[in-house]
Amino acid sequence: MKKIYLHPLPVRIWHWVNAISFIVLIVTGLQIRYREILGLMKFREAVDIHNIFGFILIFNFFIWLVFYIVTGKIKIYIPPLNLKKFVMGSLKQARYYGYGILMGEPNPHHSTPDNKFNPMQQMAYLAIMLLLIPLQLLSGLLLWDAKRFSDFISLAGGIKIVDTVHVFLFLFFMSFLFVHIYLATLGHTATAHIKAMFTGYEELEEEHGH
Amino acid sequence: MSEESAEKISGKSTVGLVIFGPILGMFYVCLLPLIALMTLLVALPELASAKKTDITQNSGMCMGCHSSQEFTKTFRNKEKMSVFVNEKDFKGSVHRFLSCTDCHGKISPDTHPGNSAMYEDRAAFTAAMASACRKCHSDAQLKAKPNHAFMANKTNGPPCTGCHGAHEVKRIAEWKPALSSNNQYCLTCHSQNISKKHKNGETLSLHIDPSRLSASVHNKHDCSDCHSEYTRTSHPVKQFASSRTHSIAVSEACKKCHADKYKAVHESIHFKMISEGNLKAPVCTDCHGFHSVGPKETYETLSGVPCRKCHEDIFKIYSKSVHGMAKAKGTHNAPLCYSCHFAHEVKVTAMTEKIKGACLGCHKDAEEAHAKWLPNAALHLSAIACAACHSPGSGKGIYLRLYDQETGKPFTEEQMLKLMGGTYEGMARKMDPHGDGIESDELWSLVSRLNEKGSNAKVTFFGRMDVSNGSEAHQLSFKKNAVKECENCHSQESDFFKSVTVAVVKADGRLTRYKAKPEVLGSMFSLLSLRQFYVLGSTRLKVLDWIGILMVFGGMSVPIAHITLRAITSPIREAKRLNKMRKEGKR
Repeated sequence: MKKIYLHPLPVRIWHWVNAISFIVLIVTGLQIRYREILGLMKFREAVDIHNIFGFILIFNFFIWLVFYIVTGKIKIYIPPLNLKKFVMGSLKQARYYGYGILMGEPNPHHSTPDNKFNPMQQMAYLAIMLLLIPLQLLSGLLLWDAKRFSDFISLAGGIKIVDTVHVFLFLFFMSFLFVHIYLATLGHTATAHIKAMFTGYEELEEEHGH
Repeated sequence: MSEESAEKISGKSTVGLVIFGPILGMFYVCLLPLIALMTLLVALPELASAKKTDITQNSGMCMGCHSSQEFTKTFRNKEKMSVFVNEKDFKGSVHRFLSCTDCHGKISPDTHPGNSAMYEDRAAFTAAMASACRKCHSDAQLKAKPNHAFMANKTNGPPCTGCHGAHEVKRIAEWKPALSSNNQYCLTCHSQNISKKHKNGETLSLHIDPSRLSASVHNKHDCSDCHSEYTRTSHPVKQFASSRTHSIAVSEACKKCHADKYKAVHESIHFKMISEGNLKAPVCTDCHGFHSVGPKETYETLSGVPCRKCHEDIFKIYSKSVHGMAKAKGTHNAPLCYSCHFAHEVKVTAMTEKIKGACLGCHKDAEEAHAKWLPNAALHLSAIACAACHSPGSGKGIYLRLYDQETGKPFTEEQMLKLMGGTYEGMARKMDPHGDGIESDELWSLVSRLNEKGSNAKVTFFGRMDVSNGSEAHQLSFKKNAVKECENCHSQESDFFKSVTVAVVKADGRLTRYKAKPEVLGSMFSLLSLRQFYVLGSTRLKVLDWIGILMVFGGMSVPIAHITLRAITSPIREAKRLNKMRKEGKR
């Protein structure tokens, strides 16, 4: 069986720290917002844990940013600048998920360390990593100490606006998680991608070797 | 012979008369005034004693007994009075030429009362005796002096003798200079039980207790230092509408020395109320007294707090509070009304930072102590009134106040009126057209209207949690009874978010409260109108909850739908796989 080293160690560490933080932040976030429905822990505990993991996530984000910029691997997130190529690639990928995969056709995208994401992934993850996550981290930071950052909050239009942005993104990430985990099971076996995220090596189907 | 001699003589004397007659005549005429003057000088005492008799001569019989100090008279109420008449005093009096019976007309040797008690008490006797004065001193004479005028027909006024004395009565001009001080001059009458009526019928006592005056901090002052229009020579007669208008008017005098305090009072809510016609509001004298004005420590006692006159209900609540109990126990630094509200510059404290400053003035470590256990302590302390947590059992609510973000100051009712037009009364209808509590869209339209026409103002609502009424702010309790659980507030079920009030502040700090529906806090419109107010868990947007449910279901439906499709199409893939294997097998 042929293996390809797709996920270097820093990326794997970053991913799993991220994953754990997301879960914890989602659970504590729900607990903070829906106290009367959820009774997992006290409000105070939920806030404290939420704050700790929020800072972990901020720190982790910079690990990701520095790693990808220093190694230059950030380019795997950048969709092809050629619009036609990008649209065609996206359509091809969409067709695969909507039709080809059902018909047993092979995935048109073959991940390599230099070209890890298909065009749809590039688009989604670029938006997530460079827009939505920073926005979430920033809004979270402002809410963490609304008094200290009151000027920024006013600039953003008020604490209710900042909170609404934070909650909206939180809901988005929560729903995206279902899609993300599901897509992770769509390797050549259900666990192939997931294993790769632990070991770094993605197993390739035999026929790819031909 | 006699004729002859007479002739001789006449012959001689005619010549003498002709010569000396005119000379003697002239001399006599010249002497006449001198003689007249001398005659007058010799005769004057005789004349005087002939017209006006000395008491000892005229009333010798009376003085036979009354010059002795040993006799007394007993009234019906067993009150005793000496009947001694000081002859020396009487001789010096202006009535010294009168006889006893001129005044004591009813008394003769036959009708002398002796031991029979005709009068109930000394006051009745004095009043009856003083009525004799009016035999000579007519109403017209009395009314000529304005400060006498109102006494003329008074039935319950002090007797004439009260001010003027009885047997020792003197001309005013005579006793005036004899008084050692100006105050004594005034007190001659004002120590008497005199009073006057205000226009509304209220009685103003003009009686001053000299002992209280001398015990006051103002005991070195002349009456006219405060009552500047009244001097030995001037006594204007004034009339006030009521005792309140009188108190307000006389308090103006305090300004002369206490200008700083007076200025503070002028800016206070109490003065504002007076200027609006609410005369119940206190002036200097209501708290400090007037003639008995004492040092400020006088009011450091629980019972003497002048605020109670009007704020008794709040004082009762205070007495049961941790502060009131400490004060009652005698804890020296336990706060009283003025500790938080200040004595002179009393301002509206509801929903202001001022009152927090008062709390922190004594509880200097409060901010630090909160920070030890309360996350975002500074934020909590700025958005929640101290009393909201420290008054157990108090009702709580959310107060929304308009602020101008440009200046950081409250946007006042006056400013609102300027922009929106109309009257104060019409404001309620504009704010809450249906009269059933302000709704979300109404709140938003208010904010947008104020910003639209906005005079360079950036108006927004700030939210704050406070007790539901001012009285409850006074029932502060021990630390252990304070709210500590986050869940008390940070839950949509929290009662504190069920009462929402729009509080519009007037320039003087007073609040007009308009009820709002609790839904305003979580409505879509709140994104526009209540941008600056958000409480974790409690004021969350309802819409966002539904969006969240939709998004999560949307996210979950992707794998579910895809797995379903894959399950349905698995025979196709299976067939393809078999086909492929067959092909490979053939190969």
